[in-house]
Amino acid sequence: MYIGVDVGGTYTDAVLLEKGRVRATAKVPTRTDLLSSLLEAFDKIIMQGFPTELIKKVVFSTTMITNLIAEKKYDRVGLLVMPGPGLCSSAYNFPADTRIVSGAIDYRGREIVPVDLAGVDQALTGFAAKNLRKIAIVGKFSSRNNAHEVQVEKHVQKKFPDWHCEVGHKVAGQLNFPRRVISTYLAAATREKYQNFIRSVQEALAKRQITAPVFILKADGGTLPLSYSSETAIETIFSGPAASTLGVQALTPAGETSVVVDIGGTTTDLALILSGVPLLSSKGARVNGYLTHVRTLAVKSVPIGGDSAVDRVGRDIIVYSERVGQPYCLGGPVPTPTDALRVLGLVMLGDGERAGEAMRMLGEPLGISNEEVAGRIISFVCDTIAREIRLMFAQWEQEPAYRVWEVLQKKKVRPNTVVGVGGGAAGLITQIAARLGASPIIPPYAPVANAIGAAVARPTLQASLRADTEQGTYTILEEGYQDQLPAEHFDEGKAVELAKNWLFKRITRYGLEKDLKEVEVTRREVFNVVRDWVTVGRLYDVVVQSQRGITYHVGIEVNEDDA
Amino acid sequence: MTLKKTGIVFFPAFDWAISPTHPEREERLLYTRDQIFEEGVFDLPQILEYPPRLATLHDISRVHFCVPRVQSRITEAHLIAAGATMLLGDRIIAGEIKNGFALVRPPGHHAMRVVHGNRGFCNINNEAILVDYLRRRYGIKRVAIVDSDVHHGDGTQDIFYHDPDVLFISFHQDGRTIYPGSGFPNELGGPRAFAHTLNIPLPPGMTDETFHYVVDNLVLPVLKDFQPDFIINSAGQDNHYTDPLGSMRFTAQGYAEFTRKLNPHLAVLEGGYAIETALPYVNLGILLALAGVDFSNVREPDYWPGRLSENAERAAKVRQMVDQLREIWDGRDQVDVEKLFGTGRFYQRKKRIYYDTDYIDEEQLEKLRLCPSCPGFLIIDSRADHGFGHPTRACCVSVPFNACAACHQEAYDAYEEGKQTPGFQYVYLQDKATDVYYAFDREKGQEWVSEGPKNE
Repeated sequence: MYIGVDVGGTYTDAVLLEKGRVRATAKVPTRTDLLSSLLEAFDKIIMQGFPTELIKKVVFSTTMITNLIAEKKYDRVGLLVMPGPGLCSSAYNFPADTRIVSGAIDYRGREIVPVDLAGVDQALTGFAAKNLRKIAIVGKFSSRNNAHEVQVEKHVQKKFPDWHCEVGHKVAGQLNFPRRVISTYLAAATREKYQNFIRSVQEALAKRQITAPVFILKADGGTLPLSYSSETAIETIFSGPAASTLGVQALTPAGETSVVVDIGGTTTDLALILSGVPLLSSKGARVNGYLTHVRTLAVKSVPIGGDSAVDRVGRDIIVYSERVGQPYCLGGPVPTPTDALRVLGLVMLGDGERAGEAMRMLGEPLGISNEEVAGRIISFVCDTIAREIRLMFAQWEQEPAYRVWEVLQKKKVRPNTVVGVGGGAAGLITQIAARLGASPIIPPYAPVANAIGAAVARPTLQASLRADTEQGTYTILEEGYQDQLPAEHFDEGKAVELAKNWLFKRITRYGLEKDLKEVEVTRREVFNVVRDWVTVGRLYDVVVQSQRGITYHVGIEVNEDDA
Repeated sequence: MTLKKTGIVFFPAFDWAISPTHPEREERLLYTRDQIFEEGVFDLPQILEYPPRLATLHDISRVHFCVPRVQSRITEAHLIAAGATMLLGDRIIAGEIKNGFALVRPPGHHAMRVVHGNRGFCNINNEAILVDYLRRRYGIKRVAIVDSDVHHGDGTQDIFYHDPDVLFISFHQDGRTIYPGSGFPNELGGPRAFAHTLNIPLPPGMTDETFHYVVDNLVLPVLKDFQPDFIINSAGQDNHYTDPLGSMRFTAQGYAEFTRKLNPHLAVLEGGYAIETALPYVNLGILLALAGVDFSNVREPDYWPGRLSENAERAAKVRQMVDQLREIWDGRDQVDVEKLFGTGRFYQRKKRIYYDTDYIDEEQLEKLRLCPSCPGFLIIDSRADHGFGHPTRACCVSVPFNACAACHQEAYDAYEEGKQTPGFQYVYLQDKATDVYYAFDREKGQEWVSEGPKNE
């Protein structure tokens, strides 16, 4: 049996899955005292006396870090950066006390300018004066050679042993210095708070005698063992949308190309599932306006929902992107799309008379019936959402391509199905699907799709190797590790083997040997280094990862031992 | 008014090379990718990245006579590089972006009007394909192309040599010391486009100082006079002080500052083979300059101010040449064309063209109809020796966009006459005025007509 728990800003949802079927669901308010919410949710899905040893795994998804960042409730951090030559530092606009120190590394990891330790000292004095005890240290091209970051980190630790340092190459190994700075900064700023979250979760599990392995969902739809997740806390931001998308994937047949439409009160979230696989965003997430390296599913938020305010402008009826309050039929101040759905009998929420009154307020001066007003509102909402879906597919087609074959294989893809989850889905999804020429689906258990998504998520681990045989060095991106290449002959096969070794090392460390048996090579690139018409070395870029996907589809009986 | 962005298509073609150790190989833009990705410049609000698209064979037929057919002289990579350039042109004309950078491979500025193979690493001319596309699709009239590659842009010069609406300026290392061995000050354009081709050969070893002297005292003033609707920079980067093929001493700062001054609508990458020591920094500098972002902190790791100096005597000679070319430009309308080029129905010249990559020797007899009411049509008799006997001979007829009715008719007659002449294996008619392109293959006894995409 699996438990999935989604700790949202308003509600905490939980499900208990057994052999591909939903055994129990729960929806409880998320309170400041997280522990009490978690216990309440557990108690709703697990009866007293339930043999908890039957539970095989528990997976959490949370918007906690997202909310912390949005509300700026994180710790203050000092930024020590080494940008070297290139873009002027004035072009970077980092949200923290930033000190620039001289030192530079190039794209091959060669030192251009040594670190100016006197400059580091000066920066540290500045941080100390401002009472900053958490420092993010990031250099340009630090993922090609971490020597400068390590040198500075050691220097700080010697001088201020009680300070906390976060280094860029360990947080985000991908190219893009400004994003690495922001990611490292957020990692430093949220680490302590995240550890509190882990403690609450562990306490709740201990209180209910749940001893199964515990995982946390990342924004890219994979999971990590909870106890190791504090190394990469920021990867849990935006795991909420990932949870709903995986939930839909589990609740619909395999291999479909679908668009997931999660219609909430204020916003509608869109996600794409292409031939059964949720689409990953090609670039890292934007967090509070700042671009990070956090890999997420490609999710788009449209500011329209069941509670959006509706008004009459001249002879037109307009749906605004703002929410003023609850729908009129639930005692709110202004008409909303929910009231329109109520009048058309598409939802059975609130007071029908008040819903009719809301339509009358809009329609009477125009001399049109309540039903026609409601129809117009629903059309407006469906048109908007359908337009955004088309745009999302178009944007996906606009992803850059850097190889001939990538350009040639670009295809036009359109969804077969439109899958609705969330409160407003029932009344709208049919019309949205009709506009896109696709079939509408509202899966069972749609209201707890997010918790189901968490429950069926699988661990994913990845190892990216970059080896430079001319320099005789290699790095493992995810580990922030770098070393000399073995002295003997090195080739593509050896590069793949080395990457796999590192992946298996991590799998073993996390105790996931049973879950992750198969690994696949997702990228394999070899470039020659040529000097004067002679090949003097090779650059290898190899990425291996454990298989992505979900444990099983819900609704088909499965043997959990095989899953 | 909203701030318009700079568009970029980055197409490094990581899976395309001429041969494994050829300078034009897979990793040519690898370190450039590393640099621009690590700098995070594609995230800047001033810059917008587009994926490339493919040019059509029709777009290529508008410019080139590919012997025997277009598809036999190109690969998909060429269609993508040309398509990327056209895509940015579209977006600029649509007003979506203020300018653009086609950071693409393979390059194109050595590709001439007739294409028997690859020369100077080029098969088709990306800039020329864009220019004729813009003229056809949007009716753009005047275009200027400034070539800042260390090698003379002989392909671009060839294509627009008789075109009064296209100004071509190239400064490059002196042809007596480097491929392709042309681009001298006396190459000034044909009788209908005199002084619309300007060449400034530079002695080896010149630095940013002379580079900018040429820009300030010739390129910019001439452009100001010409008033082009569209400016293209053939942004070769092999004038850099570390380039393995060139012997010049320009820097990344020099190139970036030049881009800022020229302010082109579009920069198109050409050569540049110091893939580690120059390209990452020069490309970054050009992109930032186009986007109006401060580029003063861009510099090569081994550069320090005062590192590079130039020979004063040679620099003085360049200044003299600039003065003379300036005089020619200023007096272009007073020139007695008949005295220079002769009279008669046709102006004709002989050309020998060597394809260094494919070892082809081509001889051309080019005839331009000296028409009193239009720029006149062209007939090229091309004979290419591939080195294995049986040279290929082709007859190529080209009708300009604004051809008069008489020239139009005469050109069609010339095409029919070519088809009747047994010596020509291939006969072509390029009718830019109606955008229709004919190709005739004698051995197969077949004619192909390209009318382009329908319903455009």
